Amino acid sequence: MGDHHSIRKQKKTGSIKNKRAIVCRCEEITEEEIRNAIRTGYHSLEEIKRVLRPGMGHCGGKGCLQIIANLIQEETHISVAKQKFPKSRPPIKPIPIGILGSYRR
Amino acid sequence: MSRKTADVIVIGGGIIGAATGYYLARQKLKVIILEKDFPCAGSTGRCIGGIRAQFSHDLTIRVMLLSIKLFQSLSDELGEDIEWYAGGYLFLAFDEARKEAFLQAIDIQRKYGLNVQFISADDCRQIVPDLNTEGLLGGAWCPTDGQANPFNVTFGYLCGLKQQGSQVLINHQVVKIKVIKNRVVSVVTANGDEFFAPVVLNAAGPWAAEVAKFVGIDLPVQPDRHEALVTEGIERCLEPMLVDYRSDGCYFVQHYKTGHFLGCYTPVPIIPGYRLDASDEFITEMPRRMSRIMPKLTTVKVLRQWAGSYEMSPDGNPICGTTPINGFYVSAGMSGHGFMFGPALGKLMAELIITGKSTIDLTEFRFGRTFAKAEIMK
Repeated sequence: MGDHHSIRKQKKTGSIKNKRAIVCRCEEITEEEIRNAIRTGYHSLEEIKRVLRPGMGHCGGKGCLQIIANLIQEETHISVAKQKFPKSRPPIKPIPIGILGSYRR
Repeated sequence: MSRKTADVIVIGGGIIGAATGYYLARQKLKVIILEKDFPCAGSTGRCIGGIRAQFSHDLTIRVMLLSIKLFQSLSDELGEDIEWYAGGYLFLAFDEARKEAFLQAIDIQRKYGLNVQFISADDCRQIVPDLNTEGLLGGAWCPTDGQANPFNVTFGYLCGLKQQGSQVLINHQVVKIKVIKNRVVSVVTANGDEFFAPVVLNAAGPWAAEVAKFVGIDLPVQPDRHEALVTEGIERCLEPMLVDYRSDGCYFVQHYKTGHFLGCYTPVPIIPGYRLDASDEFITEMPRRMSRIMPKLTTVKVLRQWAGSYEMSPDGNPICGTTPINGFYVSAGMSGHGFMFGPALGKLMAELIITGKSTIDLTEFRFGRTFAKAEIMK
């Protein structure tokens, strides 16, 4: 959690203190990549999700979307409360095809 | 409230709007794309990224040959890796009627130089070693078909368009189109902005019929509900898109880089409407169908499921071109093929808008045609 805390505390400045901090662990996306996407003009979670793929890995965004929302708030002053979060998709945890398919036999 | 002008206003930030907007902007036209949500929010971002020239309709095949040519060089052109990969398409035939239909389509496809053939079940297993060939008569195989990433293609086109000085406005839902003396004048969005242009393109995908109503036109496009899923990435074991057209069949592909499997099926009977929730039926039925064709997949984990709309026209072919309202164009009714048609129809529609005709004549896809012959390789 230490990393998350330091990301939140960062000021909106040109330099990124913790460039290689991983924001999305499933897809291995760094804070620098996220901030660069925001500075390119992608100010919504939905766009950033589609440009960089955070939230599209194993955990489905449980770990990273809140952090990214904070980064958007820092970079753009769009408050987290005003941001639209992507829909969470089932299943909650990855489930093998064989188990899912067995319900139909 | 503001007032803006452009040469062309494109309604819809999916692949059709993005590609057409890009090719117009490249010809120095000023384009404004109005997207009601965010790019790819409609059908494009929900498709699984298959690209093929194996169709049964002459014009569709010609359009797809152009599209594949454009996909091949698109990463270089846009400076964005669109993840194009020519892994081929393998359509499976489990009964004589299907085999016969494929053979007829192959005759048409070969007229246009497509490298396609009907191969035996054993040959199918050469291409897909883990294929369950029980009951399989063979398959229609085209190695030049492939896959690409719908997000990268759409965002790549939009970046290219912005570099030309054109604009993409998200969260801009069109609520009104003003027509004076049978000619489009302006487009009004929900936030009260008004955009003036002599040309307006309806690329609103599943909402195209609603947009057409703003100018009093009946556009026969309606959304059909489809669902899809993606699995975790595993070691590569499937090159082509596998298509099983049985009534309880499905189609899926493995991403050539990440190893994810992406798949969906067409429900029988079809489910009209805009509902995009995820169903329990799909998340159990699709895995059953996938593991029946490739038993090896039983241990692979499903990451996510989602739904999306096919924007269906009555004959399964697109509706592209002018309309009875001067300056109001349509490019919609892609019937599940919008992503793969995107580059070609974008280029051809841009030609049509600028010069009045396109290098591949799209008259057969015109608005107001009678809908007769249906596409058999849906």
